[in-house]
Amino acid sequence: MIRLARSGISSNPLRSWLVGGCALLVAAMVLTTVVISRGGQESLRLARERLGADVVVVPRGSVSGVEGALLLGNATNTYMPRGVVDKVRSVPGVAQASPQLYLTSMANSSCCSVSLMFMFAFDPVTDFTIEPWLQEKLGQDLQEGQAVGGSDVFVPEGEDKIKLYGYDFDLVANLERTGTNLDQTLFMTYPTAYAMQQVSQTEAKMALPVLSDTVSSVLVKVADGADRSEVAMAIGEAVPEVDAVPSVQMFSSYGDQISGVLRTLIVIVVLTVILSLTLMAVIFWMSVNERSRQIGVLRALGATQRFVLLAYMTEAALLALAGGLAGVVLAAVVVYFFHDLLVSALGFTILLPSAPSLIGLVVVGMLGALAVAAAAAFVPALRASRQEPAVAMRE
Amino acid sequence: MTAVSLRGVGKAYGDKDAATFAALRDVDLDVETGEFLILTGRSGCGKTTLLNIASGLATPTSGSVKVEGVDLWSISDAERSNLRNRTMGFVFQFPSLLPGLTLAQNVTLPLEFSAEEHADAAGRARELLETVGLGHRADALPRELSAGQQQRVVVARSLINRPTLLLADEPSSDLDQDTEAEIMEIFSRIHREQGITIIMATHARNLISFGTRHLEMADGTLRPDGVAAAGNGD
Repeated sequence: MIRLARSGISSNPLRSWLVGGCALLVAAMVLTTVVISRGGQESLRLARERLGADVVVVPRGSVSGVEGALLLGNATNTYMPRGVVDKVRSVPGVAQASPQLYLTSMANSSCCSVSLMFMFAFDPVTDFTIEPWLQEKLGQDLQEGQAVGGSDVFVPEGEDKIKLYGYDFDLVANLERTGTNLDQTLFMTYPTAYAMQQVSQTEAKMALPVLSDTVSSVLVKVADGADRSEVAMAIGEAVPEVDAVPSVQMFSSYGDQISGVLRTLIVIVVLTVILSLTLMAVIFWMSVNERSRQIGVLRALGATQRFVLLAYMTEAALLALAGGLAGVVLAAVVVYFFHDLLVSALGFTILLPSAPSLIGLVVVGMLGALAVAAAAAFVPALRASRQEPAVAMRE
Repeated sequence: MTAVSLRGVGKAYGDKDAATFAALRDVDLDVETGEFLILTGRSGCGKTTLLNIASGLATPTSGSVKVEGVDLWSISDAERSNLRNRTMGFVFQFPSLLPGLTLAQNVTLPLEFSAEEHADAAGRARELLETVGLGHRADALPRELSAGQQQRVVVARSLINRPTLLLADEPSSDLDQDTEAEIMEIFSRIHREQGITIIMATHARNLISFGTRHLEMADGTLRPDGVAAAGNGD
C-alpha cells in the first residue's frame, strides 16, 4: 500500500508539491501560533513570578514605562525619592518593602549574549526577592563588587571579571532563564552601584548617572492574610505620588496585546486551514478523476474498496507528514533564529519552549496537517473506492 | 466444467428518466474450462460490457453471472474482488501499467491485494517477464518501453496469480502487426501449455483462428457460433 501511495505521489509532482505545500502552511501556522501564544503567556507568568513581589510601586503615571523596562528592556527614566519606601512600608498590610533602582541600559556589551543589557540596583538589607535565592544558592549575601546576572550575562572569555564603566564585578551567579529581559539584566546592590558611579567619573568615557536617594520601583510583600488589591489601593491613597499595582495585574497591557495577537493568529490559522482544506480537496478530486482508469485497473486486479480508500488516505497522509515536517522545521527556524525580530515586531517577549515541549508542539503541528489532509482526501477517496470498476475504467 | 456462465444477462445505460441504451440484451453464454473464446464485433456492440460483466467489474441490469459456479452478484464486493484476484487475469486495451512502479513491481501488483503469502513473488515476476521476453528489463519503468512491450508486461502481470480465467479486451488493437502477432503467440502458448480459459474480445477478424471458439456480437446480442477455429492458431 505504501508502494502504491508513493507511486501516486511521484506520478504527478506538481499536485504532490501543492498538497505538501498546504500541509506545510497548516503545520507552520499551527506551531507558530501555539509557540507565540504559549511562549508569550509563559513569559508574562515568569516575569510576574520573578518579580517576587505581591505589589509593585512605581512613580505615578509610569506603570507602562516600568512594564516596558521590565519586560522588553525599553529605556525608562522614572525615579522617585527614596523616602517613598518608608511611606509605603508604613501602610497597613505591608509586611516588607524594598527599593530597586534602574541604572542604565548598555548596547552591545561584551558580557551579554544579546544586544542590550540592563543594570538594576537593589537594597540587600530589605530585599526579599533576590537575597533569599542568593542565600539558598550561595549561602551568603551579595557583597560590594559582586553581581548576579540573568541567563544571558557572562564573564567575557579570557577574563575573570566583568568590567563596566571602569568598574570590575565578580559575577557570582546566574538566574534561571525566563525569556524576559531579566535574562539580560545585571543585578547589584546599592553600595556597588554607588561605587561603580564613583569609578566611572574617572575611568569611563561617560560617567554613570546614579541618582542618589532615588528609586525606580518599590517591591512590596503583603502581610499574611492581607488582600493584595486592597493593600495596593491603600498604598495609592496613602502615597499620592505613586501607582501601586498588584503583581498579578502587572504587564496587563502586554497580556491584552498577547490576546490580540493570538486572536489575529487564530483567524489566520482558521483561514489557512480553510484555504488549504479547499485546495487539497480540489486537488484530490482532480487526482481521483485523473486516475480513475488506474483505480478501475486496481479494482480489476483484486483491490477491494477498502484497499483503494486506504491507499488514497495513505497517499494523503504521506504528503501531509512530509509537508508537515517541513512546516514545523520552518516554523521552528523562524521562531528560534528570528526570535528577537519577532519580539520587536509583536511587542512582547516569547519564552521559547524547552526541547521536550517543542517535540510535543511539533507533534501537534504535524497532527494538524495530517487532520486537514485526511479531511480533504476522505470524500474523494471514498468516491474513488465506491466507483464501479468498469465505470472507473471508462472515465 | 463451465468456467463462466451468463444467463439472461442484460445491461442498460442511462437514467430512469432519460432514454436508456441497451449494451447487452438477454445474453446466454457458457464458456467451458480450457476454452479460448474469441468475441468479435464492431465497436460499441457490447464486447467490453460482456467481459466486464463476466468478471464482475460491471453490474448487470438483469440476469445472473457465475464464475466457476459462484454467482458473482450473490457475494459481497470484497468477495468479488478476492475472486477476481485469485482466479482471473486481465489484459486491457489501454495502457494499464502504473507509471511509478517498475516492470517487476507492476507484475507483482495483484499479489498486493491478496491475503495469502506469496513466497518469491519477485522471482516469479522475473520468470514471467522472461516468458514475454522482457526479463532483462525488470527494473525499468513503463515509460521506458514501447506500447507493445508494455502490453507484454500486462500479459505477464495477468499470469502472476496463476489464474484459471484470462480476460483480454482488444489486447492488440493499438499495436502494429508484428507486435500483435507476438502477443497472440504468447496467448496461444499460455492456453496450450497451462490450459487457462481465455475470453478475448477483438474487432480484428484475422485473430479468430487463434481461438477454439468464435462468437460474433452485434447490438448487444450474441449471434450463433461463428466459424469455429480449427485449432488454436498454430
